Amino acid sequence: MENTSTVKELSLAERERAAVIGPGHTFATITDKIASIVLHEPSPASWWLGLLIGLTLLSGLGLSVGYLLFKGTGIWGINIPVGWGFAIINFVWWIGIGHAGTLISAILLLLKQRWRTSINRFAEAMTLFAVACAAIFPVIHTGRPWLAAYWLFPYPNTMALMPQFRSPLMWDVFAVSTYGTVSLLFWYVGLIPDLATLRDRATAKFQKIAYGILSLGWRGSAVHWHRYETASLLLAGLATPLVLSVHTIVSFDFAVSVIPGWHATIFPPYFVAGAIFSGFAMVVTLSIPIRAIYGLQDFITLKHLENMAKVMLATGWIVFYGYLMEIFIAWYSGNEYERYMMINRQMGPYAPFYWALIFCNGIAPQIFWWKKARTSIPILFIMSIVINIGMWLERFIIVVTSLHRDFLPSSWGMYWPTIWDWMTYAGTLGLFLTLFFLFIRVLPMISIFEMRTIIPQAKVAGVHK
Amino acid sequence: MSAIPYNTPAELLGEMDRTRSRWLLAGLLGLAAAAGGYFADPQRFFQSYLYAYVFVFGLAMGSLALTMLNHLTGGAWGIMIRRILEAGSRTFPLLLILFLPIALGVFQIFPWAPHEVAEQDHLIHEKSAYLNVPFFFARVAGYFLICLFLSFRISRLSAQQDEHGAEPYYTKLQRLSGPGILLYGLTVTFFSIDLIMSLDPHWFSTIFGILLLGCQGVSTFAFAIMVLVWLMRQRPMSEAVRSVHLHDLGKLMFAFVNLFAYFNFSQFLIIWSGNLPEETTWYLKRTTGGWQYVSIAIMVLHFFVPFFLLLSRNLKRTPGKVSKVAGWLIFMQLVNAYWLVMPSFHERGIHLHWLDAATPLAIGGLWMWVFLGQLKQRPLLPVGDPMLEEALHSGGH
Repeated sequence: MENTSTVKELSLAERERAAVIGPGHTFATITDKIASIVLHEPSPASWWLGLLIGLTLLSGLGLSVGYLLFKGTGIWGINIPVGWGFAIINFVWWIGIGHAGTLISAILLLLKQRWRTSINRFAEAMTLFAVACAAIFPVIHTGRPWLAAYWLFPYPNTMALMPQFRSPLMWDVFAVSTYGTVSLLFWYVGLIPDLATLRDRATAKFQKIAYGILSLGWRGSAVHWHRYETASLLLAGLATPLVLSVHTIVSFDFAVSVIPGWHATIFPPYFVAGAIFSGFAMVVTLSIPIRAIYGLQDFITLKHLENMAKVMLATGWIVFYGYLMEIFIAWYSGNEYERYMMINRQMGPYAPFYWALIFCNGIAPQIFWWKKARTSIPILFIMSIVINIGMWLERFIIVVTSLHRDFLPSSWGMYWPTIWDWMTYAGTLGLFLTLFFLFIRVLPMISIFEMRTIIPQAKVAGVHK
Repeated sequence: MSAIPYNTPAELLGEMDRTRSRWLLAGLLGLAAAAGGYFADPQRFFQSYLYAYVFVFGLAMGSLALTMLNHLTGGAWGIMIRRILEAGSRTFPLLLILFLPIALGVFQIFPWAPHEVAEQDHLIHEKSAYLNVPFFFARVAGYFLICLFLSFRISRLSAQQDEHGAEPYYTKLQRLSGPGILLYGLTVTFFSIDLIMSLDPHWFSTIFGILLLGCQGVSTFAFAIMVLVWLMRQRPMSEAVRSVHLHDLGKLMFAFVNLFAYFNFSQFLIIWSGNLPEETTWYLKRTTGGWQYVSIAIMVLHFFVPFFLLLSRNLKRTPGKVSKVAGWLIFMQLVNAYWLVMPSFHERGIHLHWLDAATPLAIGGLWMWVFLGQLKQRPLLPVGDPMLEEALHSGGH
């Protein structure tokens, strides 16, 4: 009698834990399942299709950047008064997407959230690829990237020219490169034990050599594991402030100016929340097809998707709160330019985009209050796309509406992107897809050794601390 | 099952009562002094009262918010301090009574309140649809309704859970906490605009609500840690709380210390860079006339020093040490409340007054008296919570 009551008491905690992996898995089945995707199984047709789409779009990037270098930024839609267009919009959008990977791998690790285990590897990969896509824009945005060294990297030169250190655009260079470096290290350190598993299981000679070199002599000794644990904890600690700092500095790009709609003190936390919001949407967009194609429903369970939906609901509310505060303070300021900025957003020529943004980021995510929606694959997938669009629109609205109507009506104008703007943007999507499909082909997309720690046997065997 | 007896031992109850009466005495003394101060200098009384009230109100609101946050996210840290937070959030009736002096002093405290001001000042006239006395009271009534409803509903569900076991209360608490956190966010935002930001009626900052949320996070975690360590001297908490729980609470307090600095720095940098006269006034008042030393003290003593101290794992896991840092942070939060409120009244320079000490003693003493009274009414651990066992044994996930 007493025994049953104990079981009942613990069942809730047990249920929560069990839900992050399908039933019946052992150490061996996990390793087999994930490693064989890389080592033995032929790539499914959908993988080839995905890669083909990615490469097609990527070739568009080559074409549009090539033409840009030849002609200059005149091929884009930017002009006076809107001198910042797609380049900054897409830069911010991509950088934001990367943030979910860092949050999952660093902050959720520190918060001991076990459900992060199966999604952290490809979320981190997503971070790296998103940073790569983002980095393209600042480099090409002048149309003369070979001059970038002049204005990006401070080096003592004979002309005594230095970059403007008081500009957040300069801080971006340091923030993003630090972020890229730490993310890469974190991702690679986390891969080492799995690379060793692949090395040991590889049958083809090339695979043995390649994974052998990449695994850096990992033997899985107690000393190795000890150092591994220390390294990942330190990297997690280093990566955590980066989740805040990168998008904070991106928000400073706008907020330190005096342009109505840009100069708002709420920008830093609201940009960070928006970044996490869009990043989680992208993780959901990627994980739903992947788990279907590779049969990973046992590893990326409904519990994962539901938790991600909850994170989107929470961060979506922070973003929506930001919109509401912008509206309220624009009025409360009593400043006619602040007030006009908001009226122009809501009723000006770009109003449809503003209301689409409010729908995508503010209204639509409310569906996640219902558990049915949080656990429905079609709804999750559609919502993840809606949020990605919404977050892109947010940056479009911020950049364009504040610039296109200057303080003086004589300097008003409109901004529309050209075909080259769109091709460049689509091209970065292609780069992202290409890198991602190559990643899931050659590296284990789910962390094998961490998955082994969350099955119930691991607790008995004392693997889990 | 656990061998820990959950009932609060009589010895501890006795000690709680003794401490309680000491706080009551302190509160009454403070109240008497503050009342004397009112007759001596009514203007100053209202100003000192407001800053102390904002600080203590933050403890109650923060307690409510962290209770709801823990219901949503889970985690052993929240189970260990659940009863402290619940007791803290059951103090809103007292705070409603203590709001009376602010209600009576509304014309002396808020520069936008007198009718003739709006007629002469263009900007105040522009925002008079929001900044007017009837709407101010309607909003304050709304804040109290939200806080009273949420705190008593949660507290009641939690008591029922103690009695009848986990379900359906576990689910109900979760369901209430989601919208509850949302309401909390809006309440703290407009509370901060009404009671602090509107003291400079021309000034505005979109981050201000979040800034106050950060303040409440620091002071509430610090307060909960101090009370928890105090309770750890005796059963049941001496057996239930382990270093891993303190470590988690210390980390969360550390996180809020960082967030507090982050929000403050963000606001400062953006206003400093923009350098617009309508915005810089707020910082000009706080960087001249002696206030600059308070600003620097907050930066150093509320961020740099606790930052380096709280990096230490050993410190966070040692009850005596972590509670000292927590106590320091509570004091610094009081200083911070002073810094948020007072320069708006004394732009010519800092001007300390004995009422600045009397009012926190009055409000804080009475609040502690009610808080401890609420704390002793229930077992110190949420005995019906389905996650309690796991929290006690594993240190939580």
